[in-house]
Amino acid sequence: MRGNRKGSDARALLYAALPYLVIAAVILVWEMLVRLNGIAPIYLPAPSSILRYLIAMLADGSLLYNLGVTFMRILGGFVVAAVSGILVGVAMGMSKLVARIVDPWIAALYPLPKISLIPLLIIWLGTGESYKIVISAVTAFFPVAISTYAAIRQVDLGLIKAARDLGANARQIQTNIVIPAALPGILSGLHLGMGVTVIMVVAAEMIGGSSESGMGYILVHSGQVMETEKVFAALIVLAIFGAAVTNVQKWIDRRLAPWVEPQR
Amino acid sequence: MEIAVTDLVQVFGAPPNEVVALDRVTHRFPSQKVSCILGPSGCGKSTLVQIIGGIEPYTSGHISIGGKIDEPLGTNSVMMWQQLNLFPWRTVIDNVAFGLEMQGVAKVERHERARALIASVGLRGFERHRPPQLSGGMRQRVALARALIMQRPIMLMDEPFAALDAQTKIVMQEELVRIYEANKMTILFVTHAIDEAILLGDEVVVMTARPGRIKEVIRVDLPRPRAQEMVNTPEFGRLYDHALHLIREEVLNAMRQQDAMAGAA
Repeated sequence: MRGNRKGSDARALLYAALPYLVIAAVILVWEMLVRLNGIAPIYLPAPSSILRYLIAMLADGSLLYNLGVTFMRILGGFVVAAVSGILVGVAMGMSKLVARIVDPWIAALYPLPKISLIPLLIIWLGTGESYKIVISAVTAFFPVAISTYAAIRQVDLGLIKAARDLGANARQIQTNIVIPAALPGILSGLHLGMGVTVIMVVAAEMIGGSSESGMGYILVHSGQVMETEKVFAALIVLAIFGAAVTNVQKWIDRRLAPWVEPQR
Repeated sequence: MEIAVTDLVQVFGAPPNEVVALDRVTHRFPSQKVSCILGPSGCGKSTLVQIIGGIEPYTSGHISIGGKIDEPLGTNSVMMWQQLNLFPWRTVIDNVAFGLEMQGVAKVERHERARALIASVGLRGFERHRPPQLSGGMRQRVALARALIMQRPIMLMDEPFAALDAQTKIVMQEELVRIYEANKMTILFVTHAIDEAILLGDEVVVMTARPGRIKEVIRVDLPRPRAQEMVNTPEFGRLYDHALHLIREEVLNAMRQQDAMAGAA
């Protein structure tokens, strides 16, 4: 790099701060547009008034409560989908017979938009907790199971041959080679599964009319009473929540599969 | 341990699209010697060692290892692969100790033996690294140690140094020479590099283009211990010229075959 050290330091700082500066600029322009044009808050509230609502929702505990409820539902659906999806995917990957039996079911049910199951599930389960967990688990099951199955089928045959050559028997190859070799693929299936779980839980909260809690409930309820500030506040919280979940998953990935990103 | 291969045939695919990879290959690979198998791409040289190592099945023929005919292959040999096939999720020490772990050797003992081998291939201090963190040459050493820990009398090497840069390759060849001269196992070394075959081998088995047959066996009487400097001796030059002529014919044959196949398609 040319230039003196101070100059390049300042440039590096600017580079690091750039995305945040852009966010700040967008918020500022938004605020000014709303104020200068006198846009009604029902259509587009100013960032400052969204912030006021956000603080009020934090202060009265409603935000944390509803976020917590949504989070528990997501966790419930995700755990059910992860456990069942990995089990089914592993069974399919390791047994041709299981794959032969299960494959047509997955091929038929995977393309079905899971959200279209909501009326049926409400008939069977009502609009309580089990309906929300089942709809999100059913949706997330498919990407997890399919990714797991694919990851196991795509294990490098060379690694299996090498292990056999070094004296590993069939069972040892499955536990010592196939599972760890498939782990990165399984983890990316879990990412996909988590993504759709978040979507389906919030959607289920919005649709199940009798549900009185959760971020989806805040969104629908605030929208119906034209509290647009609350709608925006809930959207912002969901966006931050989504980013947090993704980062936690990435952290778990690095823990479980540190070889995928070589740390030099 | 002597390896006697008799009338070995390997056919891939079903008629009418069958491909004869090996056609009645017959040869005695002498015990405790290095036999280099040299041939153009696609001549079946890798297939031959994979069959001897019990990794691939074969169509017909007989293989006897140490005088025992048609025993399950692979129990007396260990393979070093062209793609190395290291386990990326395992640390260096757990890659090297893999074979012992599968045998049920206790962790303390297998790590002790692995650590000694890792040191002997010059990787002391890298026990806790994972293969993706290592350079190409270092990964070769891990693969070598992982094969050596098995203490099998036969070592099968399928172009293990083909992907290395020229300097690293020289170092690894010298490493292999040193290990061979210390342990005197039987080595089958597949290569397409003539100089490598002569430098490492007690004999060079030259194979024909598909279908793979043995074209000629060249005895290499260069003294041991071998060193890289021998490539400048007249004897080395004579062997090189001889092998080059044989190989050139076969490479041209292989190219004609490919042209014919491209023309037919």
